[in-house]
Amino acid sequence: MKKAIRIEPEDNVAVVAQDTSAGETLDCAGASLVAKGAVPLGHKIALSRIPRGEKIVKYAVTIGLASSDIAPGEHVHSHNVEDITNRLCNEYERAFRARKG
Amino acid sequence: MSAMSEIKAYRRRDGRVGIRNYVLVISMVSCSNTVTERIARTTGTIPVVHEQGCCEFEHDHARTKLALIAAGRNPNVGAVLLVGLGCEQTNIEDVRRCVAETGKPVEAILIQREGGSPEAERRGVDIVRRLKCVCESQERVPCRVADLVVGVQCGGSDWTTALSANPVIGAMTDLVVAAGGSVLMSEVAGFPGSEHIVASRAVSHDVGLQVLDMISELRAEYIETYGQKIEEVNPTPGNKAGGITTLVEKSMGNIKKMGTSPVQGVLKLGQAIPHPGLWVIDNRAQGPDPFNLTGLAMQGAVVTAFSSGRGSPVGNAVMPTLKLTGNPETFRKLGSITDFNAGAVIEGATIPETGKALYALLLEIAGGRETKSEINGNFEYIVPREAARKKRDACPLS
Repeated sequence: MKKAIRIEPEDNVAVVAQDTSAGETLDCAGASLVAKGAVPLGHKIALSRIPRGEKIVKYAVTIGLASSDIAPGEHVHSHNVEDITNRLCNEYERAFRARKG
Repeated sequence: MSAMSEIKAYRRRDGRVGIRNYVLVISMVSCSNTVTERIARTTGTIPVVHEQGCCEFEHDHARTKLALIAAGRNPNVGAVLLVGLGCEQTNIEDVRRCVAETGKPVEAILIQREGGSPEAERRGVDIVRRLKCVCESQERVPCRVADLVVGVQCGGSDWTTALSANPVIGAMTDLVVAAGGSVLMSEVAGFPGSEHIVASRAVSHDVGLQVLDMISELRAEYIETYGQKIEEVNPTPGNKAGGITTLVEKSMGNIKKMGTSPVQGVLKLGQAIPHPGLWVIDNRAQGPDPFNLTGLAMQGAVVTAFSSGRGSPVGNAVMPTLKLTGNPETFRKLGSITDFNAGAVIEGATIPETGKALYALLLEIAGGRETKSEINGNFEYIVPREAARKKRDACPLS
């Protein structure tokens, strides 16, 4: 069976280990998952429903926000993810520097 | 103490521990490279040659000198012969003194003083043969993982690097740190985008500030060099085609090699490691993989775990390089240059169990098992030049 790799247990996306077509079943950490659309090799697939505005979690950290409702098995990429790297870095840095040791 | 945390290695007079007992022949200037190489070839030892050592600007020369001194001081090196011309900028006596501080035998010859190249070569061969005898009489003694300094790096990446190989290295990092050892992470040019994650793991507020200050400088240098912000050009179109969506995601693929261990501090090249744990080495040299690898060796790493999705032969003159790949195809195709298959993760193994297996191999290598880089004679040593760095420091060792 084709595979998707979930890197950390708290991740809500996994990475597909081969090119995947719509309707194909993938094994992910012992559970099975049906691809909702084509997901190219190395791209992310949603493991659960991720409502618009919710965090996309990979490596156990927030890597972006869902820019639309994402269904389990859907391809997760620039079309449905907002890149909030700047906000994450700037807000953290501002708060950190404001704090005293 | 568990058996897993014991290894047999070489304890040096300065207290540091090496996992090899290399004899090194170091050239002071490009003019003495050929004699250096010929002495090493005749005696089966390792040459360190480079393209500099004279007519350099002060800061550039400080870096050259630091790199040469650091090669000699690495705990994997049991004895050193320095080979100079006689009129070069590199002060051979300074280098000799700084290496000798570690308590290992260091000898020096100058081609002009010996009366020519064949004469210097004959004299050098005699000296190295004697140094080899000294090293051969030294034995491995019981040491601990807590005595080890381990580097982590990646290069020649593909889609598996951030997915399997680097998380597996991260699991190994956490095991080394848990056993009381040290891990060095560099490749700081890849940090912007996840500085909030690295800073959040800092052991103190001051260390968090060190991380954030370094990244602020890196971001400013990037704009000055390329005229654009890092996030304007990252992730690149190639990254996106490969499945990377955001900069924090791209950056995390690099940071993952650090596992989740606390960050003890940021060190500049040449700064001694104050105590064990996970350290960030602020080496901003941008170039081929040996630049960063040499930086880790300069910092005293005795072995580096290096992941490459596409496969890489690189090694280092003073530091065995454990090569792993996250791609099972690459492991099958390039087994002669690859020591470990983290691609097992792609085929169903878990990251923690594969990380344990990598840790076990690391300890075997520390105990004497040769890496593919050593078997294949990959003993590169490339002085890391930090062209973009605005604030430069003098050589801290001289």
